[in-house]
Amino acid sequence: MKAFLLAAALLAAPAATLSIAAPAAAGERPDQASFKALYKELIETNTAFSNGSCTLASERMAARLKAAGFKDGDIRLFSVPSHPREGGLVAILPGTDPKARAILLLSHLDVVEAKRADWTRDPFVMVEEDGYFYGRGASDDKAHAAIFTDTMVRLKAAATKLRRPLKLALTCGEEGGNGDVFNGAEWLVKEHKDWIDAEFALNEGSVGIRNKDGKPVSLGMQAGEKVYQDFRIEATNPGGHSSRPRPDNAVYALAAALVRIGNYEFPVQFSDTTRAYFTQTAALTGGDAGAAMLRLVANPQDSEANAIVSRDPTYHSMLRTTCVATMLDGGHAPNALAQRAGANINCRMFPGDPIENVRTQLVAAAGDPAITIVPTGEISPTPPPPPLTPLVYGTAKKLAEKHFPGVPMLPAMTTGATDGRFLNAGGIPTYGVPGRFSDPDGNGVHGLNERKSVAGLYAERDYLFDLITAYANAKDAK
Amino acid sequence: MRHILVAAVAAASLAIPVLAAERPGEAAFRTLYKELVETNTTHSTGDCTLAATRMAARLKAAGFADSDLNVFVPENLPLDGGLIATFAGSDPKLGTMMLLAHLDVVEAKREDWTRDPFTLIEEDGWFYARGAADDKSQAAIWTDALARLKAAGAKPKRTIKLLLSCGEESGARINNVRWLIDKHPDWIKADFALNEGGGGSLKPDGTPLALVFQAGEKVSQNFKVEAINPGGHSSVPRPDNAIYALSTAMNRIGGYEFPIRMSEITRASFTALGKMTPGPMGDAMLKLVADPTDKAADAIVSKDPRFHSLLRTTCVATQIEGGHAINALPQRAFANINCRMFPTDTPADVGAQLKAAIGDAPVSIVAVPPVNPVNAPPPLAGQVYEKAAALAKQHFPGVPIIPSMSTGATDARFLIAAGIPTYGVPGLLSDGSTNAHGLNERISVKWLLTGRDYLFDLVKAYAGVK
Repeated sequence: MKAFLLAAALLAAPAATLSIAAPAAAGERPDQASFKALYKELIETNTAFSNGSCTLASERMAARLKAAGFKDGDIRLFSVPSHPREGGLVAILPGTDPKARAILLLSHLDVVEAKRADWTRDPFVMVEEDGYFYGRGASDDKAHAAIFTDTMVRLKAAATKLRRPLKLALTCGEEGGNGDVFNGAEWLVKEHKDWIDAEFALNEGSVGIRNKDGKPVSLGMQAGEKVYQDFRIEATNPGGHSSRPRPDNAVYALAAALVRIGNYEFPVQFSDTTRAYFTQTAALTGGDAGAAMLRLVANPQDSEANAIVSRDPTYHSMLRTTCVATMLDGGHAPNALAQRAGANINCRMFPGDPIENVRTQLVAAAGDPAITIVPTGEISPTPPPPPLTPLVYGTAKKLAEKHFPGVPMLPAMTTGATDGRFLNAGGIPTYGVPGRFSDPDGNGVHGLNERKSVAGLYAERDYLFDLITAYANAKDAK
Repeated sequence: MRHILVAAVAAASLAIPVLAAERPGEAAFRTLYKELVETNTTHSTGDCTLAATRMAARLKAAGFADSDLNVFVPENLPLDGGLIATFAGSDPKLGTMMLLAHLDVVEAKREDWTRDPFTLIEEDGWFYARGAADDKSQAAIWTDALARLKAAGAKPKRTIKLLLSCGEESGARINNVRWLIDKHPDWIKADFALNEGGGGSLKPDGTPLALVFQAGEKVSQNFKVEAINPGGHSSVPRPDNAIYALSTAMNRIGGYEFPIRMSEITRASFTALGKMTPGPMGDAMLKLVADPTDKAADAIVSKDPRFHSLLRTTCVATQIEGGHAINALPQRAFANINCRMFPTDTPADVGAQLKAAIGDAPVSIVAVPPVNPVNAPPPLAGQVYEKAAALAKQHFPGVPIIPSMSTGATDARFLIAAGIPTYGVPGLLSDGSTNAHGLNERISVKWLLTGRDYLFDLVKAYAGVK
């Protein structure tokens, strides 16, 4: 996951009243032991962009699926010639109802770069220590990849009959890289949507929160993410010699526009997800802040409530499209008047907010018709957020009450981006499944000494196995 | 009587230049000028040392002793040499005057030019070539003046020192003047120096509009304004932001106007310009001279960016930079502020005004080294200006002479800082089509030779040659 920014403020919520049944620390079950072997193999297959191979990891997972009984025709290994190490895998477990639509399990195989010299342990050797599994990808995202693959293996080996087909997609390129990256999820949506088409997809993207004492505070269900889009703002001027300044100046024109854009606040928006998120967070938070959240949900124009809630930068970002200047450049010599000055404006658009609508607001905020503002880089799709249906959300919540009693589940929109953006844009509603919890320090995701709680991983696996089975047997929504 | 006579003669010669007989030494001057122009002295492919050697040879032929001709070559820079020629005066009390011109020229590509830039071509009353005006016209006139005086057996009372230098235009390898000040200050000791930077202007009809006597230059000083911030992920913007903080500071600096300053020179400039300029602009100039706090007059005069810059220190943001990734909040944003300080303003004072203008915007500001010394302008009052003005009346009767301060910079900035008052002499009039630094550089043959006459007499007057 490129960013894992959820309301850190929740950490301050009264967690002491919450409780969870502590998973057994010792006495590993036989099915856990075989899962651990799969998880270990995956972590120890380096899949970093610079020197790893997602193709190898895919082949290894395919071998496990085959060993469990999958036929060759139900496993597709794919890659493109220009990116031979960035391959992936799609597998299908057929359902019993020929009319039922599939459930897709999506996970990325690739990991962020990790240097042995910087880590305490070898990042590509799975080390179990003090209740944690250490290794690059232990959390992001090989926990999901292992759980999803293991689920397929177990269901196949047990010859479990499921109403819906279950599809698994393991892809590469989610984390990006220093160069031309092949994004497997994007490619599948564009080139072979039929391979992965589904009623909905389960993906990374949600973060449950564990407090510093190791107790779960909340479960997350991600439904929708903000959309990344860069804009270039630019001012030009005839320039000249700096010993004779002209009244007009590209740097000053840009600066004035940037200050106005910095002061501009996009309007408050809600989706089903964020409305539910703030409603539940209000109850957890209480006090003036909680009351303000409820008032804002009731009336998005309530500027007083907005001022209170938006004090927290994460809430601020969840409530609206945000745009911020990130890079600045201008002028060509210290002794010449600038002929050009520009900036990159990085926007995180509320799901469904069209690019042109955001651009129009930026132009109006800049307030200078001589200044240009155009979208740059990859032009992102702006899909609406997936709906929080009773099937998807209700089932997850109900099962969570059994697996994580007393831990509230919050629907959430992430402010960063996952591969879910390609699937949502391609018409496959994609959700970040609950079950995962982060420690307050973020568990080294994208950083050093990435780790995953052993007990937490096993609990998550048990929950997701039940959840996926429940989804696969569920009737169609009306 | 004498004045009137001379003026009448001068007027007659101006009126019928085409029929005028060849001037004294004109053929020799043309040969020298041609040789100088045709010696390529660009930074990339030229050779200033060769040009200096050739000029030294001409002075030697005119009678200079080897000991008075110093072709200097800075260490490890064989192509970047220059010449110092000394013509000793008889009265040590009068000290030394320096004639300064630079040998090097701006780059010129044959394929871009209509004619070969390193062949002197006379066409329709113009000399075309790179350096024809900037600055080989001046270099040729000074060298020719010394050669003529020596050949004629003149006995100057004041010592005359000629400095032909390299590196004024590019300076990328070396600037001779700065190098001489550092390494051989005794070689260039002088009580005052005459340089480019003055000149004069022609009217559209080709008759003289005004002569310019340059005294003093504004001083360049860069400041760095910087904002820092903890940054973070751009998906969750913080309330504070380095780019916005810098932008706020830029807005305030852009909106700040430095107070009006007048010096002896600019007061004289605006007095002369005010008298010449018809309508509200001329009136406003004179009002501003009488009362520098006259805001209405300032508003009119400062509408012209040239005058605006002459009236005050100016500072302008020339370069900005910030951020390190498109998807990260900037941790740093900074700008270069280029100031052209009025010669009496100090970097500390200008920095303090900028700081006050920035106010509470969360940025830092520091002067970027080198922090330039304050260059008190050379005095206008005194015999240097008076002689130039008096002689101008004879050579260019009825043409006003305007003292001026340059907003840009020449080698004079180094000499002035080293304590040698340096002036841009009047005399070489231009209609604005010279295109120095550009394509097809040219100078009017008539006005080059006219300027030479004036400057030869000016050198004689300063040196006390009968």
